[in-house]
Amino acid sequence: MHWIVTLRDTVRVPPDRFGEPLERVVADILRKTYEGVVDKDLGIVVAIVDVKEIGIGRIIMGDGASYHDVVFDALTYRPELNEVVLGEVVEIVNFGGFVRLGPLDALVHISQVMDDYVSYDDKKGVLSGKESKRSLKEGDKVRARIVSVSMKRDSRGKIGLTMRQPGLGKLEWLKEEGGKGGKS
Amino acid sequence: MLRAALGSSSYCGQGSDIFAIRKYTKFEKARIIGARALQISMGAPVLIEVPKHLTSSIDIATYEFEKGVCPITVIRELSRED
Repeated sequence: MHWIVTLRDTVRVPPDRFGEPLERVVADILRKTYEGVVDKDLGIVVAIVDVKEIGIGRIIMGDGASYHDVVFDALTYRPELNEVVLGEVVEIVNFGGFVRLGPLDALVHISQVMDDYVSYDDKKGVLSGKESKRSLKEGDKVRARIVSVSMKRDSRGKIGLTMRQPGLGKLEWLKEEGGKGGKS
Repeated sequence: MLRAALGSSSYCGQGSDIFAIRKYTKFEKARIIGARALQISMGAPVLIEVPKHLTSSIDIATYEFEKGVCPITVIRELSRED
């Protein structure tokens, strides 16, 4: 789920940028430091939306730069346990498939793709069920549930998905099931 | 604590605890000129036309200070009992 989070931080404005408008410099520096950062509480920071407050500049011994306390809004994406998400399969590998959930990719392990014995076809890059004859390939749109989240700093974040529940799976499967399973 | 007023948009915080100081002590003057010289050496724009013979960043900072255009003030932390 996406969130708008209000954050407070101190920004270092280097002297060679004193000539530019302060709002622009601060927004620029915040974008460079925050966008793409993965954090345990925030999730992944997608964008800096608004710089709300810029405090007075303070000059610290030994550094010509000015330090400003700033308050700003950031748009973040934080995957939550048990959240049901829609995504597109971007890669099939021998242990499962990667699903793009907007800013992050998540893994559906091969054992979690469907209620069947699933095998991996190396040549076609397809995961197929033994009895149901269902298959999953790159470009398929799927609905899945988030079952594990690990957002560590300086990593890309690991998200585990499952599609072994009613109402989950490739959107075409859900259409086939019609009223029985979930509605698509 | 030194305060920097940057470019056209200078922020004055809450304002009440910051006021213009008419005369700086020699320590404050040294701190201001030192900080300003460092900034100029790090590429900060100089705010007024400077005579040609001033070439060192310390000289330029001193000149700015004497002309009263140095964009740095001092926050004096007064001891108060409350």
